[in-house]
Amino acid sequence: MTRDKQIINYAKGLLKISLEDGEFSEERASAVLQYLEKNPPRKYASVLKEYLKLVQREVANSTAAVEHAGELSSSAIEAIKAKFSAHYGRKISVTTRQNDSLIAGLRVRVGCDVYDSSVAGSLHELEATLS
Amino acid sequence: MSSVIEQIEQQIANLQTKTVQSNTGKIVTIADGVAKIDGLSEAMYNEMIEFPGGSIGIALNLEEDSVGVVILGESTHLKAGDEAKCTGQLLSVPVGKGLLGRVVNALGQPVDGKGPVESTESYPVEKIAPGIIERKSVDQPLATGIMAIDSMIPIGRGQRELIIGDRGTGKTTIAIDTIINQAKINDVGLASGDENFRPVYSVYVVIGQKNSNVARTLGVLEAADALKYTILVSAPAADAAADQYLAPYSGVAMAEWFMSNGMDALIVYDDLSKHAAAYRQMSLILKRPSGREAYPGDVFYLHSRLLERSARVNEDNGNGSITALPIIETLAGDLSAYIPTNVISITDGQIFLETDLFNQGIRPAVSVGLSVSRVGSAAQIKATKQVAGKIKLELAQFRELAAFAQFGSDLDAKTKAQLDRGARIVELFKQPAFNPLPIEEQVAVLWGIQNNYYDDIDASKIVAAANSIREFFTTRKEALLTSIRTKAKIDDELQAELKKAYDEWKPSFV
Ligand SMILES: Nc1ncnc2c1ncn2[C@@H]1O[C@H](COP(=O)(O)OP(=O)(O)OP(=O)(O)O)[C@@H](O)[C@H]1O
Ligand SMILES: [Mg+2]
Repeated sequence: MTRDKQIINYAKGLLKISLEDGEFSEERASAVLQYLEKNPPRKYASVLKEYLKLVQREVANSTAAVEHAGELSSSAIEAIKAKFSAHYGRKISVTTRQNDSLIAGLRVRVGCDVYDSSVAGSLHELEATLS
Repeated sequence: MSSVIEQIEQQIANLQTKTVQSNTGKIVTIADGVAKIDGLSEAMYNEMIEFPGGSIGIALNLEEDSVGVVILGESTHLKAGDEAKCTGQLLSVPVGKGLLGRVVNALGQPVDGKGPVESTESYPVEKIAPGIIERKSVDQPLATGIMAIDSMIPIGRGQRELIIGDRGTGKTTIAIDTIINQAKINDVGLASGDENFRPVYSVYVVIGQKNSNVARTLGVLEAADALKYTILVSAPAADAAADQYLAPYSGVAMAEWFMSNGMDALIVYDDLSKHAAAYRQMSLILKRPSGREAYPGDVFYLHSRLLERSARVNEDNGNGSITALPIIETLAGDLSAYIPTNVISITDGQIFLETDLFNQGIRPAVSVGLSVSRVGSAAQIKATKQVAGKIKLELAQFRELAAFAQFGSDLDAKTKAQLDRGARIVELFKQPAFNPLPIEEQVAVLWGIQNNYYDDIDASKIVAAANSIREFFTTRKEALLTSIRTKAKIDDELQAELKKAYDEWKPSFV
C-alpha cells in the first residue's frame, strides 16, 4: 500500500471544503460525496479511503468522547463541553458512553489526548509503579 | 479520631479528582521491531513511548500524521490496534558505581541474574558532548599493557583510538587486555594509598556479537578479576536492532557519570560496524532514504555524536575523562570502505591489525606503518619515550628492508645489522593474549634492546630471553621496577642500576 502524495493532497483539499468556519459540516461533506460520485477522480477508492481517515481524525479532534461509570448529569456534560472548548480553542461536542469497568470517575478522549480521572486508571498507575 | 477519618476522606476525594493526561496513538503497522503509530501528536524526537505489557519504544520518525517508533526488546506480543502512549521523558539509564561488576542490557537492566542494580541516579542516553571551553588536551597516559601499543602508539586519557582490522585478528583481545590492565593498575594504585592515584573504570559495550563470545569475554574478565571495575553493556546479535543501536549510547551515559564526578573511564565499543548495520536495518524498515552502501544519510552523525562524548574535561569541570576504544571490522583489509573512513576521520588515531601478520604468528598483529596515535605521545611517560623513542622508525625501516632483502643475498653490513635488529624487535613485541604487562616491565625489557643486550641472542630465542629478563626483574629487582614506576623517567641512577641488572642477568641466560 503506497500512499500517493497527490491523493493525500486531494483528500486534504476535500476535507477543507467540508469545513464550515473551521468546523466539520455533515451537509458540506455529503455535497462533496455527491460531487465525487458524479465526477469520480482517478483512484476513486483510495481517495475516499484517505478522505474517510481525515474526516475521522477531524471528528475525533472536535469530540470529547466521555466514558463514565455511574450516572453523568447533564450539567456535568455542559461543564465538560465548556472546559474542553476553551482548552482547545474550538467547538467541542460531547459523546457519552457508560463503562462500569472504570469503577468510578471519568475518562475523556479528545483526538489523541486522553484525560483519565477514573479509579481504574489510578489503580493501573499504582500497579505500574509497584511492579 | 474523627479528624483522621476526615483526613482519609479528603485523601480519597483527592485521589478521585486526580486527572492523568496522556497523549496516545494506535499501532497501524508493526514489523521487525518497528511500529508505525497513528496519533501521538505530541511525541518528541527520541521520546520514550510506552506500549501495553510494559514494552518501551523510541520515537525516531515524526511525520505529519504518524510516528515511527523502534521497539526495544521483545515486540512479538504487540499487534495492530494496540494503544501507545507518550511518556514525556527521554530515554535514560541507571548510572553509578552500583553497576560495576554487572552485565546489563541496553536499557541498563541487569541480565546476569544477580538481582537488581543498585543505583539512585539516571542519565539520559542522548546528551550533547562537552564543548570546547570545558575540554583540556590529553596529558595523562592510559596504559594498555601491550608493549607494541604503549611504546609506539601510546594512548592518553580522553583519547579516541580506533581498533580496526579484519575478522579474527585480535581486535577484541586488545580491548580486553586494556581493561584487564586498568584493573591491575587500579589494584596496585588503590592498595598503595596514594591520594593522587586516579583509577580507571571500564565500560565494555557488546554490539551484535554472538552470545558465546560474550560469555567468553565475561569469563576472561572474571578470571582476571577485572570485572569489579567493569560494566558490561550487552546487546548481542539475538537482541532487537533497536537495542543494538541504543547500547553504545547507554554505555557512554554510564561512563559520563564517572567523568562528571571527576573520575576516569574507559569505554570499548565492540563493534561499531555491527552498530552501523543495526542502524541501517532500522532505517530501512523506517523507510528512510538510503545512500552509499544502503546506509542512511546520517550514519556519520550516528558515530560522530557518540565518539565526541569521549573527552578530557578541565579542572573547572571536574578533571574527569572518557577514553574510547571503538572497534571496526574491515573486509579484506579495506580501510577505504564507507564506515571505516568515517570512523577513522572522527577518531584520534587507529591501531590497524593485519591478517598477514596475525597468520605469521606476529601477535598482537599491529601494523606499524598504518597505525598512529595523533595525541597520545603527549601523555606517554618519559621513561617509555627514552627507551622506545626510535623503535617505531626502526621497525618501519625493517619492514621495508625485509621486503627488499628477499631478492638479494649480498647485503652490506649496515643493512644486515638493521635487519637483525628489526627481527629482534618484532620478536620482542610478541605478547600472548590476556597478559598485559605493567609499564615498568615494558621499560625494563625495552631498555635492553636500546642498549644492545639482545644483539647476540638468536632471534628465535628472543621471546624466551624477554620472559627470562622479566622474571629476573620481578623476582630479584622489584625495588628497581618500583622506582621506574614512581619516577616515570630514567635518570643517571636508574640507568646505572639497569645496566648492573642486565650485566647480572646476561650470563645466567644461555
Ligand atoms: N596476542 C595474541 N596471542 C595469541 N593469540 C591471540 C592473540 N590475540 C588474539 N589471539 C587469538 O586470536 C583469536 C581471535 O581473537 P579476537 O577474538 O580478539 O579477534 P577479533 O578480531 O575480535 O575477532 P572477531 O572479528 O571475531 O571479533 C582468539 O582465539 C584469540 O585468542
Ligand atoms: Mg571481536
